[in-house]
Amino acid sequence: MNIKEAEELIAKYYEGETNLSEEKLLKEFFLGDDVPEHLLPHQPLFRFFVDESHETLSDEKQDEVLTRRLEQYRLETATVKEHPGKRRLYYLSGIAAGLLILVGLVFVIRNEAEKRQHQTLANTSAELAYNQTKQALTLMSVGLNTGLDAVQHFTTLGNAIGQVQKFNTFNKYQIQFINPERMQTPSINK
Amino acid sequence: MNLQDFNIKIYPLKDKIFRFAKRMLEQTEEAEDLVQEVFIRMWKNREKLDEYRSLEALAMVTAKNLCLDKLKAKKHPVESWDHQIHLIERMAEQTRPDHSDLVLGVKEAMKTLPEQSRMIVHLRDIEGYEYNEISEIMGMQENAVRVALSRSRKRIREILVKEKSYEYQRS
Repeated sequence: MNIKEAEELIAKYYEGETNLSEEKLLKEFFLGDDVPEHLLPHQPLFRFFVDESHETLSDEKQDEVLTRRLEQYRLETATVKEHPGKRRLYYLSGIAAGLLILVGLVFVIRNEAEKRQHQTLANTSAELAYNQTKQALTLMSVGLNTGLDAVQHFTTLGNAIGQVQKFNTFNKYQIQFINPERMQTPSINK
Repeated sequence: MNLQDFNIKIYPLKDKIFRFAKRMLEQTEEAEDLVQEVFIRMWKNREKLDEYRSLEALAMVTAKNLCLDKLKAKKHPVESWDHQIHLIERMAEQTRPDHSDLVLGVKEAMKTLPEQSRMIVHLRDIEGYEYNEISEIMGMQENAVRVALSRSRKRIREILVKEKSYEYQRS
């Protein structure tokens, strides 16, 4: 890359218009020793970027630490992994217990409801029986009353007979009043 | 996914995740922890991993989210203490001979970028991700990534120029 190209690329770089390969060219250019004086102010920037990109996570020891930590974590999660199963079992048993209670409750409630229904049924049947009896009794009493009516006739008749008796006595005495001699006659005749 | 698959497909991402985390958290130990955290999260999800198009993108997204969480938690308490430790670390780093002051200056300049921009610059200029990959990791439109990247690069350049002129003034 000649200096003119470098200048152009630097300008493009600050505008954010360079692509990755162009930026790589710039880095290589500034790592070299033949950087012209007027471009030197830009050198630290690109050198810094290159330097920084070589930094690694300290040393092998750090790798070991990480691997160990990861392995340890893997083991932890492996043991922890059983827990969700257990926990799931807990949850399931909880749900099962809840369901049992629910089912039990439903049964109890249903039984209770049935009992109550039976009771009302019994109540209604008792009522029905009562009503029937009452009806029968009423019928009977009606029949009895009609009998009583018939008996009433007798009493009327009895009364009427009484009235007629009065007439008889009246007639008896009338005859005596109208025909005292006749009345007396027989007595006289007697 | 078993441990072997994990070792082949995900474990090699450790350096990328580490560099990314270190860029954001600025401390080696925290970055190491974060790599482990990412792996643990990936391992926890191992049964669902087949559904993802790119495991690498998923790992980087996880790293990004964890970094943001950590940074958010950091912002509130103990900042002064952390900051002091951080300063000491930085001083120690600066005495290292293999880092020129100028290259270190880039590091400092990157630290001044907002978190999102810093992530984008890191993913592009250090890790060499394509725009579509970065947009997937960051959850941003490709164009927005491009714009943020350009802006951040220019900003770093500005800071470097300022520092440089300051250094020239001093010397």
